[in-house]
Amino acid sequence: MIGVLFNNGTHKELVSSVGWTTADELYSCSEDHQIFKWNLLTNESTLAVKLPDEIYPIDLHWFPKTVGGKKQGLAEIFVLTSTDGKFHLASKTGRIEKSVEAHRGAVMAGRWNYDGTALITAGEDGQIKIWSKSGMLRSTLAQQASPVYSVTWGPDSDRILYTSGKQLVIKPLQPSAKVLQWKAHDGVILKVDWNSVNDLILSGGEDCKYKVWDSYGRLLYSSSSHDYPITSVAWAPDGELFAVGSFNTLRLCDKTGWSYALEKPNTGSVFSMAWSADGTQLAGACGNGQVIFAHVVEQRWEWKSFEVTLTKRRTMQVRNVLNDAVDMVEFRDRVIKASLSHGHLVVTTSLQCYVYSTKNWNTPLIFDLKEGSVSLILQAERHFLLVDGAGVYVYSYEGRLVSTPKFPGMRTDILNTQTVSLSNDTIAIRDKTDEKVIFLFEALTGKALGDGKPLTHKMEVVEIALDQCGAGSDRKIALIDKNRDLYLTSVRRLSREEKTNKIGTMVHTMAWNDSANILCGIQDVQFTVWYYPNAVFVDRDLLPKTLFVKDASEFSRTPNILNYVGTQVTVRRADGSLVYSTVSPYPALLHEYTGSARWDDALRLCRFAKDQTLWACLAAMAMANRELTTAEVAYAAIGEVDKVQYINSIKDLPSKESSLAHMLLFSGHVQEAESTLLQAGLIYQAIQVHINLYNWDRALELAVKHKTHVDTVLAYRDKFLQDFSKKETNKRFLQYSEGVEVDWGKIQAKIEMELAKERERSAAVSVRSSVASRR
Amino acid sequence: MAKDPLAEAGLHFDDLNKLRVLDPEVSQKTTELKDECKDFVDKIGQFQKIVGGLIELVDELAKEAETEKLKAIGARNLLKSVAKQREAQQMQLQALISEKKMQLERYRIEHEALSKVEAEQNEFIDQFILQK
Repeated sequence: MIGVLFNNGTHKELVSSVGWTTADELYSCSEDHQIFKWNLLTNESTLAVKLPDEIYPIDLHWFPKTVGGKKQGLAEIFVLTSTDGKFHLASKTGRIEKSVEAHRGAVMAGRWNYDGTALITAGEDGQIKIWSKSGMLRSTLAQQASPVYSVTWGPDSDRILYTSGKQLVIKPLQPSAKVLQWKAHDGVILKVDWNSVNDLILSGGEDCKYKVWDSYGRLLYSSSSHDYPITSVAWAPDGELFAVGSFNTLRLCDKTGWSYALEKPNTGSVFSMAWSADGTQLAGACGNGQVIFAHVVEQRWEWKSFEVTLTKRRTMQVRNVLNDAVDMVEFRDRVIKASLSHGHLVVTTSLQCYVYSTKNWNTPLIFDLKEGSVSLILQAERHFLLVDGAGVYVYSYEGRLVSTPKFPGMRTDILNTQTVSLSNDTIAIRDKTDEKVIFLFEALTGKALGDGKPLTHKMEVVEIALDQCGAGSDRKIALIDKNRDLYLTSVRRLSREEKTNKIGTMVHTMAWNDSANILCGIQDVQFTVWYYPNAVFVDRDLLPKTLFVKDASEFSRTPNILNYVGTQVTVRRADGSLVYSTVSPYPALLHEYTGSARWDDALRLCRFAKDQTLWACLAAMAMANRELTTAEVAYAAIGEVDKVQYINSIKDLPSKESSLAHMLLFSGHVQEAESTLLQAGLIYQAIQVHINLYNWDRALELAVKHKTHVDTVLAYRDKFLQDFSKKETNKRFLQYSEGVEVDWGKIQAKIEMELAKERERSAAVSVRSSVASRR
Repeated sequence: MAKDPLAEAGLHFDDLNKLRVLDPEVSQKTTELKDECKDFVDKIGQFQKIVGGLIELVDELAKEAETEKLKAIGARNLLKSVAKQREAQQMQLQALISEKKMQLERYRIEHEALSKVEAEQNEFIDQFILQK
């Protein structure tokens, strides 16, 4: 997985730090008072700065290149800290612009925040100080008795993380906010890093271990003990990988902690590491004066029968496992990101984007990229999405720019697969500043959906996913919140306030199927497949019956679902191994049949499979599509007699409107049912609905408002109270009952009349429609 | 023979009948002694030269022995460090092996899962055929 490119001993003493300026240019500082500039394109190194003899540099950090998605012109300075207690601001040409007396003893670290507005330094004297961009002291943030070896900024630059002996401390910049401190290692902690994309913390120390933490200080991974202390750790910019350096050791790990690869170069201790901004190259500062360069190779992508491997930095090997055909794909520049899905391979290099169809590996579609560093590629069936430092772009597979969705305050550098989701017609992006908010866009125009209001959940959302199939108007989004509850809601909210329904708890990970709207996830210790998640909108009680549940112990602790293609679910276990699981193919078939309204085929399939879950799915699907005959059969098959009876009663209803209203009632949408009836002028029926639901107040309100059937409501109320031998306590009923006489005979007659009227009307409508159809 | 009055006076005649102050016999002996002395000095000189050469040689030998000794010590140390290097190398290799073992374990699990999937699919196919 990791290839060590070359290393070269230009420095005479140990190299203390390295920093990238562009993807191919690196600066390294060493205790021999020299700063070298390395050009990776020409493999040359030139002396950039000869420092005065009294300066022994320790840390080097470049001023951030992009600020809030905008490129900055004056990114040409870097901070250099030294053992004499000073830090220096130096320009790219090597001129030291300013030297500032900062600490007593050595300055161990100096880091710019993400927008370049502040610099933080940590000293051997145990102090942490914040400086302005020009090097003016703003404040002393912390003070402790032991030296601070490493410091880093939090994702929003509003918190810092620093080491305090064996402990880690997260300190917000606001003075009143709570400080989080915990014991992290058994030895002194030497290096920490905090990734802005996945919000995870990395630490390495003299106890020879490296550990991964979340930002609440919970341990996610602890490595086994190494032979030598861990001297450096570094997150790759996209937060998918990190590198660990130790004596003669370089390790590449997944964000969950397991190790992809180990290299044992002869370099002495690796004191500092830095990833290039595109995340493809890694440089390490070594104890024996070498600067080591490494790059990630052997990355693999799999989709159906295709297996793509990045063999060299510019070469990919494509293998079709069905016929063992091997194709080699060459690129002009280094490959930065790639994605293989939905029959297309999308590869971005530093300048261009290549789109291959899996049917033809010879002629890719190539277009130029505005900005080189693509940080994320997402694919849907009809188009794909690229994210770079400046924006989000949707391209069609023909290479046409479809749209560029935007919202105010968008930070594209921190988007990842958990916070962005793409389907054929919709894009969803979770907001960073308020994690409860999800922005929804029309994929084809880039405009905000509906009235432009984003979707707001009641809790912080950690993961979102759009379903991939079906009509755009039925698009659903599944989201996991901070409590690990799984919710399902509709993306296109048609005027009425649609509910966000909870369909699962303790869900660690989820994925939609690529060819049918089937959702799979790992719920606590069970692998669950929601064959028809929409059932929650149709018949809540039916949802548990449409689930396929399997023990997830084979996936061990904290697994992650990578994808769900066809009938196969691919899961990455915490130890890094891939585990596959199959799901029955019937539900997908059922989705296909019902999607194209082939109800007879659907019924035949269910009879063939003899599976209760499948019948339950069919029942829900039929109800959703108002296909009563099929629904009746399906409900009968799963033994829900009450529902069969209700469906029968709906069938007997005289008019279209009232049967529609009763179907809505069936799904529990009382309000919609009421408005449907009122719109059709069926006021008595609306009142009756409320009476049946014992919703007395609303029934009376309607009756009074429309000045009809007040006596009916009162009569039923009276009967109800008598049945339960209660006394009337409701003031409004008392008030109205005074003036109205209840006569059951009259009421019955009135009801009969209403029903007859409805029947007449619907008959007239049907006659009219049949006349119209005859024409 | 009566005492030579000349001799008593300390005068002598030599063989060539030249008048001499020193007794020719003594003179002759003196000369002989002188010659012998000269011989002796020569011989001593020669001896010294030989001994000098010897000493030089021995010194050289000593020097050589010293360098050899150092070399031997160096070699011994090297040997020791090689053993240590081996150990370090072994450790490195061990680490690489354990890494590969972990990868193997991952592949094993993946294979197991895939085999299970295959079995499930076969079962499904059988069932499907049977039902038909």
